[in-house]
Amino acid sequence: MPDPTLNSSARVPAPAGEVVPPHRPIAQRHDASAFPNPDLDRRAFIRSAAAAVAVPSLLAGLAIPNRAFAAGRVRSDTLKVGLIGCGGRGTGAAVQALRADPGTVLTSMGDLFADRLESSLKGITEELAESAPARVQVAPEHKFVGFDAYQKVIDSGVDVVLLCTVPHFRPIHLKAAIEAGKHVFAEKPLAVDAPGIRSVLASAHLAKQKNLALQVGFCWRYAEAEKATFERINQGAVGDIVTVHSTYHTGTLSARPRQPQWSEMEFQLRNWWHFAWVSGDHIVEQAVHSIDRLAWALGDRLPLRCNALGGRAARTGEESGHAFDHFAVVYEYEGGRRCFHTCRQIDGCPSDNTDYIYGTKGSCTVNGWTPLHTIKDLAGKELWKYEGPKRDMYQNEHDALFASIRAGTPINDCERGANSTLMAIMGRMAAYTGQTITWEQAMNSQEDLSPARYEFSDLPKPPVAVPGKTKFV
Amino acid sequence: MTAWLTCAACSHRANRLPHETALGTVSAPPEAGLPKPFRQDIPGAAFDFELCPIPGSADGSIAPFFIGTTELTWEAFDVFIYRLDEQAATPPPSTPAPTPTPDAVTRPSKPYLPPDRGFGHEGFAAISMSHKTATEFCAWLSLRSGRKYRLPTEAEWEHACRAGAAGAYCFGDDPTLLPAHAWFADNALATPHQVATRKPNAWGLFDTHGNVAEWCNAADGTPVARGGSYLDPAAALTAASRRLPDRSWNASDPQVPKSKWWLADAPFVGFRAVCESVPESK
Repeated sequence: MPDPTLNSSARVPAPAGEVVPPHRPIAQRHDASAFPNPDLDRRAFIRSAAAAVAVPSLLAGLAIPNRAFAAGRVRSDTLKVGLIGCGGRGTGAAVQALRADPGTVLTSMGDLFADRLESSLKGITEELAESAPARVQVAPEHKFVGFDAYQKVIDSGVDVVLLCTVPHFRPIHLKAAIEAGKHVFAEKPLAVDAPGIRSVLASAHLAKQKNLALQVGFCWRYAEAEKATFERINQGAVGDIVTVHSTYHTGTLSARPRQPQWSEMEFQLRNWWHFAWVSGDHIVEQAVHSIDRLAWALGDRLPLRCNALGGRAARTGEESGHAFDHFAVVYEYEGGRRCFHTCRQIDGCPSDNTDYIYGTKGSCTVNGWTPLHTIKDLAGKELWKYEGPKRDMYQNEHDALFASIRAGTPINDCERGANSTLMAIMGRMAAYTGQTITWEQAMNSQEDLSPARYEFSDLPKPPVAVPGKTKFV
Repeated sequence: MTAWLTCAACSHRANRLPHETALGTVSAPPEAGLPKPFRQDIPGAAFDFELCPIPGSADGSIAPFFIGTTELTWEAFDVFIYRLDEQAATPPPSTPAPTPTPDAVTRPSKPYLPPDRGFGHEGFAAISMSHKTATEFCAWLSLRSGRKYRLPTEAEWEHACRAGAAGAYCFGDDPTLLPAHAWFADNALATPHQVATRKPNAWGLFDTHGNVAEWCNAADGTPVARGGSYLDPAAALTAASRRLPDRSWNASDPQVPKSKWWLADAPFVGFRAVCESVPESK
């Protein structure tokens, strides 16, 4: 049942011109003077949990063993979490959400496929073996399967939803979640086409008005080494940025052979990486991390236009859909500066996930897969390298999200995430069409990749794009 | 004295005549009566690797065996993980063993990250695999070759690493000599290097100290990594030092369940295979 205090929105003065959230921000529910409660001490503890340094001393002072928070008591300050999209990443995100805050409980799950939902629940339960009975409380009637599962999760009385489905559905799910007043963690990318981006930007705006968290899964933004390095770059450690080359060169992804009982819709969804309407193609689905870091190096400035080369050299078999396996994008910025992104998913080639940043005073390399983050002067002499902690960035991300919700200052980095996603989409548009695409063209594109109907039936097989022939829409 | 060479320093398809390498002339066989090193073909690939004979221990607790002259490199490991042997047009080599069935060995899932992490591929030690994956590689190679391959026991590994020496390292106790023999924190610049680019030990094995830590089976059969890696200080590279895997080795795999095949945070562990016997026909 929803917390009845949620309905007393009259207690929150609505700023002039702002929409009154139907769902009061969580932190305000913890206002002890408004809602006296014998559980005050524990509430105080939870509020303090946002300031992580206070936790150990408080724990000692209250003599509450850590395990007590997993002991199964019903908490009045519980944050109910719903997972929408139960693949490997969503399952991981749910575990991180449950580890991020002692008051989180997973209560609802939704997926297109029952098998994925059940294996996800099993995985979460095993990961949280010690505390699972208290923290994983997904009743059978709160397991939802099908294209409308997201709405049922949102309507099941949760406070926070984790949007981790294949990228295609993100704008739809995000809109529904924000309209319903839920805090959101939304995995990257945020959309696969421009109509999706425009919807996401509207949701981001609405989330701000409602003071709802809307955190995007650009996890590198929460990695200590990257934060320390890009902070220095943004402060001028290599001078003004002359150019950036970011790479995401990796191998191929899974492919699932067609099963006789599958419709074409199910076949494409099960092989989602390889169909642009579902994933956005690999530049949008995967390499967008490196495009986001390119943007980060430039202080999140927007490009004016881009050109791109791309193609499909080594993909075979119908499971590999129509996606390209390599892209090279040239982003052009004000003043004629050009920055570069290259990505490849082909086995048997050297792998690389590095940002090569060149400035007027030096250079910086940020390597995503190795421990190397270095800044050098123009002569190549090392000036700095990152030597601090490297905690799990996915956990950092969720720690920050829940702390911000508890503190009443919810994270909303959605607009930045939407811009980075559109940078990747415009790279795909330029590669598919062979044309120069401006930021305005990309943002206003009318190309809607959605299927005609969301049902498990037949679906066209998209053709492989041919630069020079495929038209920009 | 018949010279036999461990010249992976020059080429994987080395000629077997004595010659100088960048590391000097490779040492002669340590003990009379030892069999010669042999090369193992990788099924489905134009690649082979060399295994060195290791004498049994003086107290008889360790029987003689063969072990990879170098840490296993990607050229061999790729064939296993990407099923290149199944795609190869050439028929499987005839072996004295029963015809292997591919189904008898489990292959790893697609890695979430490129397991070489961009450090380098050809001539570099395969890394980031779990102990299970290394074990399955040995099972696969056994089936395909007709020879019995497996991971070394800790006792075998340490015996082979010491090569008859009693000190902390295969060359004695002086850590100032270590940079000539090993890639480690002081000289590796936080990256693994191509195998066999430092000096070998007296029995011809390269990189037992450093470069990448090596999966072994502890006495109770559980996983343990020996020899230290390019990230470790000298003290962690001794013949006796050992490191047990823990959750941190795969903490940042963002998927649940986490991969049982690949370790997202252990780009410092690899292995070298042991062969228990060399069939006459080879």
